[in-house]
Amino acid sequence: MAVSVDEAVSTVPARDRPRPTRRLGGRGRSLVEVALLTVLAVLMLFPVLWMIETSIKENRDVYAVPAEFFGFTVTMEHFKDVFVGPDGGRSALSVAFLNSAVVAGVSTLLATVLGVPAAWAYSRFAVKARKDQLFFILSTRFMPPVVVVIPIFLMYRQVGLIDSKLGLILIYTAFNVPFTIWMMKGFVDEVPAEYEDAAMLDGYTRLQAFRRFTLPLLVPGIAATAVFALIFSWNEFVFAIFLTSSDSVRTAPPAIAGLIGGTTTDWGLVAAASVVFALPVLVFAYLVRKHLVAGVTLGAVRR
Amino acid sequence: MSDPVPLTTDPGQVASATPPAPGRSRRLSDRGLAVAFISPALLLLLAMSVFPLLWALYLSFTDYSATRGGPARFVGFGNYTAILTSAQVHQRALTTLIYVVGAVTLQTVLGFAIAYLISRRTHGRGVLTTLFLVPMMLSPVVVGLFWRFMLDAQFGVINSLLGSIGLGQVEWLTRQRTALISLIVVDTWQWTPFIMLIALAGLTAVPKYLYEAASIDRASEWFRFRTITLPLVWPLLLIAVLFRAIEAFRLFDLVYILTNGGPGVSTETLSFHVYKVAFLGFNTGTASAYGILMVLVVIVLTQLYLRYLNKLKEG
Amino acid sequence: MRYQQRIGRMSVPGRKVRLATAAMLVATTMAACGDGQDDGAQVSAPKAPATIPELTTDPLTLSFIWFDWPPAQALEDFANAEYKKERPNATIKVNTVPNANWHDAMFTQFAARKTDFDIAILDSQHIGEAVTNGNILDITDFVKNNIDVTAYNPYLLAAYGQFPQAETGQRDENARLYGLPLLGDTWTMIYRKDLIGDQPPQTWDEMISVAEKCQADNPGVSGLAFHQANGSDAAAVTYNTVNGVYGGNLWDPKTRKIEGVLNDAAGQEAMDVLVNRMKPLTAKGSGNWFIDEVNAAVAQGKACIAFNWIAASGGLLDPKQSTLGTTREQILDKLGFATLPSQKTNLVPLGGMGMHVSAYSAEANQAEALNFMKWFERADIQKKWAAAGGVPARTDALESPEFLNAGPFNQVYADSVPRMRDMWNVPEYARLVDIENTNVNAALNGAKSPKDALDDIAKEQQAVLDSSNRRGGGGL
Repeated sequence: MAVSVDEAVSTVPARDRPRPTRRLGGRGRSLVEVALLTVLAVLMLFPVLWMIETSIKENRDVYAVPAEFFGFTVTMEHFKDVFVGPDGGRSALSVAFLNSAVVAGVSTLLATVLGVPAAWAYSRFAVKARKDQLFFILSTRFMPPVVVVIPIFLMYRQVGLIDSKLGLILIYTAFNVPFTIWMMKGFVDEVPAEYEDAAMLDGYTRLQAFRRFTLPLLVPGIAATAVFALIFSWNEFVFAIFLTSSDSVRTAPPAIAGLIGGTTTDWGLVAAASVVFALPVLVFAYLVRKHLVAGVTLGAVRR
Repeated sequence: MSDPVPLTTDPGQVASATPPAPGRSRRLSDRGLAVAFISPALLLLLAMSVFPLLWALYLSFTDYSATRGGPARFVGFGNYTAILTSAQVHQRALTTLIYVVGAVTLQTVLGFAIAYLISRRTHGRGVLTTLFLVPMMLSPVVVGLFWRFMLDAQFGVINSLLGSIGLGQVEWLTRQRTALISLIVVDTWQWTPFIMLIALAGLTAVPKYLYEAASIDRASEWFRFRTITLPLVWPLLLIAVLFRAIEAFRLFDLVYILTNGGPGVSTETLSFHVYKVAFLGFNTGTASAYGILMVLVVIVLTQLYLRYLNKLKEG
Repeated sequence: MRYQQRIGRMSVPGRKVRLATAAMLVATTMAACGDGQDDGAQVSAPKAPATIPELTTDPLTLSFIWFDWPPAQALEDFANAEYKKERPNATIKVNTVPNANWHDAMFTQFAARKTDFDIAILDSQHIGEAVTNGNILDITDFVKNNIDVTAYNPYLLAAYGQFPQAETGQRDENARLYGLPLLGDTWTMIYRKDLIGDQPPQTWDEMISVAEKCQADNPGVSGLAFHQANGSDAAAVTYNTVNGVYGGNLWDPKTRKIEGVLNDAAGQEAMDVLVNRMKPLTAKGSGNWFIDEVNAAVAQGKACIAFNWIAASGGLLDPKQSTLGTTREQILDKLGFATLPSQKTNLVPLGGMGMHVSAYSAEANQAEALNFMKWFERADIQKKWAAAGGVPARTDALESPEFLNAGPFNQVYADSVPRMRDMWNVPEYARLVDIENTNVNAALNGAKSPKDALDDIAKEQQAVLDSSNRRGGGGL
C-alpha cells in the first residue's frame, strides 16, 4: 500500500521544521484525489445509470431533447415486455434468456468436469513437455472467434450441429477448458501435495486421495472458476449469431441485438432487456470478487 | 495486502511439490491417471480448436466456397499473395493498428491512474473497486447497443449534455475521425477496469518498507513513484497491456453493433473484414487464408505475452 | 505448412507433430469428401412437382424465415387464423432474425444444406445466389398448373420469382420461376402537411426546394430524412432511387458492364444531387440512419419530408410512439403519404419479398409449402391479406377497397407498381450491395468525394462480376 504524506509525517514526529503548510498541502492533495476519483467513478458509472433510467422511462421521454434526468414518469412496462410477449404468452426474449441459461450452464459444467482433473494432473504429475502443453492450451483460447467460426461452421454442417444448442455448448466448452485448466492449476498448486501423499501412505489410491482430500479443498476455487466460465458463455455473441438462427436455439445476446434494426426501435425495451441480462453477471461477479484478477487474466496472474 | 504477487507462470516450478515416486508400478499408474485426466480435455481442444484450424489451413490454399459447391481448386499461395498485396486489407490493418494502440494506451493510462488513486485511499477501497469493475462485466452487445443510443447525434444523452454546457452537436458515429475515436472511447470505457484491477494488484503488493525508507530519505513523491512504484508494477502492467492488445486485435462484436464498420469502411477492423469476406460472398478459401494470417499475428502476440509472464516470474 | 511448424515448435514433442499431421490428413479427406458431395449436388435448382403432392394429415409446422419487423408477426397471425381453416393440422411459424443478419442467417443455413425453415422469404435480389447454389425449388411447372399468371402485373411476378432477371417492367415468359410474391413494397414520400401544405411536390427538384424552405422556416426540423446506413441495402437503395429518377442505369445486364454505365453522366448527376443537395438538408449525424431512425425522426416531428418503405410505415400512425398527435386521425392531419416525385424518369425502388421453397426441407413440408403458396395467391385470400395489413400482388386485390382503405399509404403502392425498378439479382448480389452501401455511405458522411465514391463503386462492382476466373483472393 502506498503511504500517504500524513502517515509518513506522523512516523517521524521529531522534525523541527514547521509542518502546517505541508500538511495542509497533503490534505489539499488528498481532497483533489478524492474529487478526481469521484469524477472518474461518475464517468464510468454514468452509462450504467442511464441504462437503468432509460429502462423505466416511457418511450416518448426516451427521445426527449434535452435529455430528462429527473421528473419523468416511471414505468415498469418495459420489464414486463422483456418476459411477456405481445400475445400474453412468453416473449421471444424470455425464451432466449432460458436458452442462454441452458447453454452457459451446461458448457460451464462440461468445462469444469474436463478442466479440473486435467489441472490437477498438470499440477501433480511430471507430464512430458508440460510447459509446452500448457502454453499450447492457453493459446487456443486466444484465437479470434470470427476466424474460428468459419471452419467450425463447415465442421458443424457435416455433423449437423448448426443451429443447435449442443453446437454452441461444445464450442463454449472448448473456449472455457483452457481457462479452467489455467485457473484451476493455480488453485491446485496451493493445496500441498503432501496431503495426498499422506493419504496414500494410509492406503488410499492416488485417485481416492484426490477425491477425498484435495477435491473438497478445491471447491471454492472451482466455484470461482465456474462463475467466470459462466460469464464468458453468457455474454458471448460472435458464435451465437453465426451458428444459430431459430428462436428456439438463439441465446440472449443476438436476441437483444435483434431488438434494433426493425421498423421502430424500442430503446426502453433494449435497456430493460440489457439490465435483466446484466444483473446475474454482476451478482456472480460480486460473489467471486476475490478471484477477479486471476479470473480476468485466464488464471495467468494471481494474488 | 502486502504479499508479493505470486505468479503461476512456470509449470515446472511446482515439480518440486511432486514427491519422488516410491515405486515403478506407482509411477505407471500415475502416468495412466495423468493420461486419463488430461486426454479428454486435450482431445476436445484438438477437435474444436486444432482440427478446425488445420481445415482452415487446407482451405486457405483453395478457392473453396461454402455455398457455391463444386470442387475446391488448389490455388497455391494465391489467396495469401492476394491478401497481403490488397490495398483494402492494408487499410483495415491500419485501422486495426490505430484502434488497438489508441484503445490500449488510453485504458492503460486511465486504468493505472484510477488504480493509483484507489491505492492511496485507506477507506472504501473495496466498494470503489467493485463499482469501477461494472463495465467490464457487461456483454459487448449491451455495451455496443447502449453506447450507440447515447452517442446518437440527435437525441443521444452525450450531445444533450454537451449542448447544455454550450457545445454544439458532435457526429460521434458518422464522421471518419470521430467514429474511430468513439470506438476507442467505448472500448476504453469497458476495459479500463481490467487494467485498473491488475495495476491495483501490483500496487498493493509493493512492500511498505520501501516507501518508508524512501520517505526517511526525503525523496520527492515523483521520485518515489518513478523509482519504486513504477518499476515494481510495470511488469504486471505489461501483462495486462499485452492481454488487452490480443483482445482488441480480435475485436468484432463492438464494431458490428456500434458502427457496422462505417462511415464507409473507416472503422472496419481486420476481424470485421474477415467476416465480410467469409459471409457476404462466401469466399471461404480467401477468408480462411485471411484468418490464418490473423492467427499468426495472435500467436506472435501470445508468445510475447507468455514470454513476459515467464520473465515476470523470474524477475 | 508454416502454421503446422509453429504448432510443432510450440508444443515441441514429435508425437504432437505427427498427431497434427494425422489430423490434417483427416481434415483434408473430410474436406475432400465434402467437395465430392457438392459435386453431386445439382448446380441448378431442383424442380418442384407440377402438381401438389398428397398432403399429410399429421400435425405439421410450416416454418418461414424473415427478419424481425411487424409484417412478420402479421403474416404469422394471418396465416394461423386463415390457413388453419383449410388445413387444421398445419401450424405456421415465422422465425425472425435481426435485419442486419437476415441474408447471412438464410444463406448459412442453405450452405449447411439443412434449413429450419420450409419457406425462405428472400429479397428479390437474393434469388440469383439461391438459384445458382441450388438452394430453392424451381417452381415453373407448379406455377403453370396452379397459378393464374394473368392476374398479376407481369413485373411483380418476375421480380420475386424469375431468374435470370427480367428487364425492368417486364416478365420473360420463357424464363424459370423460383418464387411467388408475398409482400409488395416500395418507398413512399412522407410529408408534413402542416409544414409544407397538402400538395406533395411533383418533381425531385421541387421536393428539394420545398424541403429547403421548410427547414429554413422551422428551426429544429430538418428538411429531409432518408436511409443512409452502410448496412443491409440502406444507402444503396437511396442512391439507386436517385439514380433512377435522374435517368441513370445500374448496369447493362446483357454485357454485364457496370463500369462506365453506373458512373456515366446521369449517374454522376444523381450522386451529386444526393450528396450536395439532399444530404445538407438532413439532420446532423443522420449518416447511419435506416428504417427505424427515419421513422423516429418523423414521429418526433423532426423532418419535413421523409422517405421510407411502405411496409415499415405502419408504426408512424401509432399515437403511443408519436409526438404528432394523440389519435391516429390527429397524426393523419399532419402526415401525408405520396408517391415519389419524378424528374427525368418516374422510377421508384422495388421492395418487398417473395416466398421461396427451401430445397432442404422435408417432402411433406415442401408439399405443404406449395399448397400454402397456391392458397395464398388466391383472389379471396389476397384481399384478406390486404385487409390484415399486408400488401398483395394480384392486380384485383391491389385495386380492391379492402386494400386501398386499409392504410393511407396503400394508394401510393398501387400507383407505384407500374413505376418500379429493382437492383441486380445476380449471385454476387451480397458483395455488390456491400460495395455500394459502404461507398455511398462514405460519400454521404464526407469520407469520400461523390465522384470518387461512384467511380470506386463501378470499378469494384465490375471487378466482382469479372472475378469468377481469378485464382485466389476472391472476395477481397
